[in-house]
Amino acid sequence: MTIELVGRIDSNNAAQFEKEVEERIGKAPGEPIVLDAADLNYISSAGLRVILHLKKINNDLKLINVNSDVYEILDMTGFTEMMPVEKAYRVVSVEGCEEIGRGANGTIYRIDHDNVVKVYNNADALSDIKHEREVAKLALILGIPTAISYDVVRVGNSYGSVFELLNARSFSKILADEPDKMDWCVKEYVGMLHKIHDTVVPAGKLPDMKETVLSWATALRDHLPREAGEKLLSLVNAVPHDDHMIHGDYHTKNLELQNDEVLIIDMDTLAVGNPIFELASIYNAFIGFSEMDHEVVKHFQGFDFEISKTFWHKALAAYLGTACETKIREVEDKARVIGYTRLIRRAIRRHEAQEMIDHWKEELIELLKETDTLLFDRNELDVIASAENLSEVQSFVEERLEAANCSPKVMMQIGVAVEEIFVNIANYAYAPEKGKATVRVEVSGDPLTVSITFIDHGTPYDPLAKNDPDVTLSAKERQIGGLGIFITKKFMDDVLYEYKDGQNILTLKKTV
Amino acid sequence: MFPGIKIDLHMHTSVSDGSDTPREIVDRVKEANIDVFSVTDHDATEACRIVRDLLKKGDPHFICGAEFSCKDKLGQYHILAYHYDPDAQPIEDLVEKGHRLRMKKVTARLDFVQNEFGFVFPKEEIEALLALDNPGKPHIGNLMVKYGYAENKEVAIRNYIDKLHFSDEYIKPEEAIESVLRGGGIPVLAHPFFGNGDQLVIGKEMEDRLKRLMDFGLMGVEAFYSGFTPKLTKEMLDFADRFGLLITAGSDYHGENKLVRLGETGYKNSTSFPSGLLKFLEACGL
Repeated sequence: MTIELVGRIDSNNAAQFEKEVEERIGKAPGEPIVLDAADLNYISSAGLRVILHLKKINNDLKLINVNSDVYEILDMTGFTEMMPVEKAYRVVSVEGCEEIGRGANGTIYRIDHDNVVKVYNNADALSDIKHEREVAKLALILGIPTAISYDVVRVGNSYGSVFELLNARSFSKILADEPDKMDWCVKEYVGMLHKIHDTVVPAGKLPDMKETVLSWATALRDHLPREAGEKLLSLVNAVPHDDHMIHGDYHTKNLELQNDEVLIIDMDTLAVGNPIFELASIYNAFIGFSEMDHEVVKHFQGFDFEISKTFWHKALAAYLGTACETKIREVEDKARVIGYTRLIRRAIRRHEAQEMIDHWKEELIELLKETDTLLFDRNELDVIASAENLSEVQSFVEERLEAANCSPKVMMQIGVAVEEIFVNIANYAYAPEKGKATVRVEVSGDPLTVSITFIDHGTPYDPLAKNDPDVTLSAKERQIGGLGIFITKKFMDDVLYEYKDGQNILTLKKTV
Repeated sequence: MFPGIKIDLHMHTSVSDGSDTPREIVDRVKEANIDVFSVTDHDATEACRIVRDLLKKGDPHFICGAEFSCKDKLGQYHILAYHYDPDAQPIEDLVEKGHRLRMKKVTARLDFVQNEFGFVFPKEEIEALLALDNPGKPHIGNLMVKYGYAENKEVAIRNYIDKLHFSDEYIKPEEAIESVLRGGGIPVLAHPFFGNGDQLVIGKEMEDRLKRLMDFGLMGVEAFYSGFTPKLTKEMLDFADRFGLLITAGSDYHGENKLVRLGETGYKNSTSFPSGLLKFLEACGL
């Protein structure tokens, strides 16, 4: 039952109002009461008493469309703590506004120089808005740079949430306007993705993406040959629970450059899960959705399919920290398994062309034959360069060496070298501040060669420029320092240093 | 005995603007299983004398009460008086002054609606009205409805009676507080956040108001009140705690004339017994 509150409610009419409302409630006892305050200008304490009384009669009571003056009164007097009170929403038009982003649940428009509004597809989006605001706050607390909405508005028949986004440009726009910035975009895009995937989310705060993917796989089972259907399910089931964050809709329209800061927006799909689920959705954004019709990406992102393909490939290589095409292809195929699963399910649900569905089905069935696991390794580890992270770096390197069946002696030698280099970076690169270091491990080639690369953004320093210490001198006569890099050089086949793009890049190579 | 008891220290009888007679209200109090009660008519002590004489041994404990409407240039206040001697001269003078001011106002209003709008009432109705202890705007409003001049009481007050503006004389809060103290009573600020009952006094303004009234001798606040949310009650309890004020609990029951039920004060038996309330009851001889 909706009751409209009009004008003023004060001692002059509170009793009358009360009587009317009680009569209406009497006709429909127990029915939830909605007080629509769209036309209410003022409420005195006599009016508040009536609302308090109504709340006692029927606990299921809420106030909607409350203007800011009345809201302030309700807030000061504790009514907002006692019952749901929804503010009246400012009405905003997006007619003629630039569309700057588009996601699964809404479209983002720039409404003026400083502000953007995300208009939700769902007409009853208030709970979505609240959810997005909460997860965005959580992400921000966990160190992910994002924008938090500060207002909810009415846009046509939908709701929108307003964000401050000063003078920002999306990565899609940058790629479309300045294709030569591709490599910079890839670097920033992947940097943010690593950051998201390295973020551990406290249990229960975000939905588990695995559940969603499982539901897709289950829905698809009946549409695939039995064997393929079962395999798909068992592959998804075998992905272990992962409490790291994934964005869920990570494409270049959702990455914004604001002044010199990169922000990720459109947080409503935030979840936890294995990064393969993220790579699947990225694959779809850049390739999957447009595979059958290359205009799709042009329309959506504003750049050509060729650029989209190149971006995906470069981003995946950078994400994995490898230039090895076999490795990139391998992970891409895993991403396609999930990506196609989603595309097929979506196409079936939307009754799209059978031809498309059949094409993706064929691809998926072929992929499933060759896929034994959806798990993959990133060759890179991003850590804060500090001594306490040494053991994390060491076990990261060791795991990869073990996988390549390195001998214990080689493992020991590489271990010593890794310790020397990492501790050096930890102590000097950013001193007295702290900064990030990237450790990349690649094992490839014939004969099998291990290549370990350390990257930091600290003070330029070439450890190889120093003369080797004279180890023939006695301990007393020797100069302090330099021994670490000496041992490293001795154990490794090759040690290379370069300073590029503001980064110290030191690479150790050893044939095993 | 205190923690489990039911208390309502703020209610009105037909002596002022309630609908229950003093005798009826005693029955209602018993029905509601209230253990400690007070009758607090506006500017009147008559119901207290009647109720006091009606009570027998084993009946609910009764505290003499009254509610004085006060005003100064900073605002409007209702000052509750408790546990006073109804026969003490300062109380009688205060009641007398309040009554006189009210009668003056009601006469002016009756004249006004007659002269301005031509609303006339039978002589016996006017006599009956003036014979009430504390007639006011609602009584004139009721008469207007009865004789078909207005659709309802609220319209009568808003559209006609309230059109009369006059610079009235009034009782100042310090006057009421001092008289209550001299009459052996305990002055308590009624529904503190609501001023005269229909205002909102919040935050710093509330704090300043309390400090000012305490300078005059105010001893307590009605922190538990039917119209308060838990948040407001908590704020008032905090004020009472900070300023060392006594605490009371009241429904402001008016019988049929308002929607509040007897005993509905926001104070629950289960909540821990605030020491300010305990001290108040002790000060009233419980």
